[in-house]
Amino acid sequence: MKTLMTLFYKELVESLRNGKWIWLPIAFIIIGISQPLANYYMPQILESAGNMPEGTVIEIPTPTGEEVLSSTLSQFGSIGTLLFVLAAMGVIANERQNGSLTLVMVRPVSPFQYITSKWFSQILISIVSLFLSYGLTWYYTNLLFNPVKWDTMLTSLAIYSLWIVFIISVTILLGTLLKSAGGIAGVSILILGGLSLASSLFTKYTKWSPANLRSQASAVLLEGGLLENGWLVIWTTLGLSLLLIAVAALNFKRFEQF
Amino acid sequence: MVMDFDYPVRQYDWADSLFRNWKKKSVGGGNMLLEVRDLSKSFKHHQAVKNLSFDIEEGTCVALIGPNGAGKTTTLKMLAGLLTPTSGTIQFPGEQKKDYRYLIGFLPQHPAFFSWMTAKEFLLLAGKLSQMPKSKLTSKINETLEFVGLLDVKNKRIGGFSGGMKQRLGLAQALLDEPELLILDEPVSALDPNGRRDVLQLLLRLKDHMTILFSTHVLHDAEQVCDSVMMLKEGIIKWNGSLLSLKKNHTSPAIRIKTAQRIEHCFNDIPGLEHIEYEDAKTAVLYFINRSINTDLLLKVILEKNLTLLNFEQLQDSLEDAYMKVMNQ
Repeated sequence: MKTLMTLFYKELVESLRNGKWIWLPIAFIIIGISQPLANYYMPQILESAGNMPEGTVIEIPTPTGEEVLSSTLSQFGSIGTLLFVLAAMGVIANERQNGSLTLVMVRPVSPFQYITSKWFSQILISIVSLFLSYGLTWYYTNLLFNPVKWDTMLTSLAIYSLWIVFIISVTILLGTLLKSAGGIAGVSILILGGLSLASSLFTKYTKWSPANLRSQASAVLLEGGLLENGWLVIWTTLGLSLLLIAVAALNFKRFEQF
Repeated sequence: MVMDFDYPVRQYDWADSLFRNWKKKSVGGGNMLLEVRDLSKSFKHHQAVKNLSFDIEEGTCVALIGPNGAGKTTTLKMLAGLLTPTSGTIQFPGEQKKDYRYLIGFLPQHPAFFSWMTAKEFLLLAGKLSQMPKSKLTSKINETLEFVGLLDVKNKRIGGFSGGMKQRLGLAQALLDEPELLILDEPVSALDPNGRRDVLQLLLRLKDHMTILFSTHVLHDAEQVCDSVMMLKEGIIKWNGSLLSLKKNHTSPAIRIKTAQRIEHCFNDIPGLEHIEYEDAKTAVLYFINRSINTDLLLKVILEKNLTLLNFEQLQDSLEDAYMKVMNQ
């Protein structure tokens, strides 16, 4: 436990020094708050930017606050997933490649401790970024549209966070399988994108899929509760994530070259 | 040929402060620290290490010598617990735990650090991971940094360190928790002559306090620090024993004679001669079969033939010759 805390602390300090604690939250905040702002100012934007003929009437129904938040979540789903994968792709591969892993593993550190320290720290950074971004978006939504209850907002955030946990788990597992950061990112995106695609194509067979978390989180906002299979999705996501991390730790043990 | 390498004897008063608090090692007690049996390691395409068996006695200093690709690094990495052996056992008699990494300090060939850390922060991380008590850690870090001569840069980023400084920091992290066995993989190969001398001197100091196993392909380094050598070639131990017995068993005595005149064929009739090598027409190296050389006889021959003697030198046994002999066996 002490070893785990030491490694975890090291990860946090590293992310602070290499600026991950700065760029990831900022990127997310930009993605997040652009949604309510763009929605609110859409008529003005169209008016000043478009070469509309005289007298064109554009009527855009004002979305509700819940709808704005829900569309923010779908923004997070595409660019957000990419950013999280990019942020986490190098955490193991870099240390493996430059050899600094050696001086950690010559000490009594177990693969499990090493992997979980990476897992926890990446999850913490990602969820804090998400929280800051989503919180600010909520603030602007309340200002510009109708107020959304804070507990609804938090519930949808909590459900959506599980998707982040899953993203990080996949990336960490691939980090123990592949050596190049680019490969890790590519394959992670492929898996996550494939899962999302499969979940929307074969809904009947993918009721369990973690990719459904987004629609579950939207449902919390728009309909006030989980869709059917909500808990199934939550539990499979948690179970799969733990499984991926366990496999990652086992796989890490087999490394020939630390 | 042996170059006499005289160290300017520097006073390492501060080193004593490092050792003062160390637990006493029973040096030379004849206890086995490490027992290795039938150690093998195969990679996909080749077998790097083949059935190594050896013991390391407590308090000794052993050099692992061999050409590049002999399996030195693989062996050391297995001992350090970084590679899993394909077969065979590594045992520390008296240690029950399966994970013996806490007994070992390891310096890899190219130590890589987290470059965003400072030297002090890195040692702090290393100490914590080795479960060192927090109360002792800070003073220990300072002592160790002083020992390797990095105390004045302890708050500088490792990213800006030179190769020699990194090597010394690597040594510091290996020493930090007073390991029973210090394993160093090519500790001086990448260093300039100054850095090399510094590190070798540190090793000489450490020798009295812990068991050291280090690999090198430079024989001279081994000779300066160690009392016994293990020679490895293609994953097999070619020689394991003390340096003295190696020299005795594998070198032949020789004498070099240089004169002002040509001396071809002058010494053909000397008894006990193995063969003669002519470095040039006026310089000959005479190799003898056994060690008792009748120098009087040689001088007599020189006088008889009216040769002007410029140089008469008994060649010392060279480790290099012994090495070549063992390796080409």
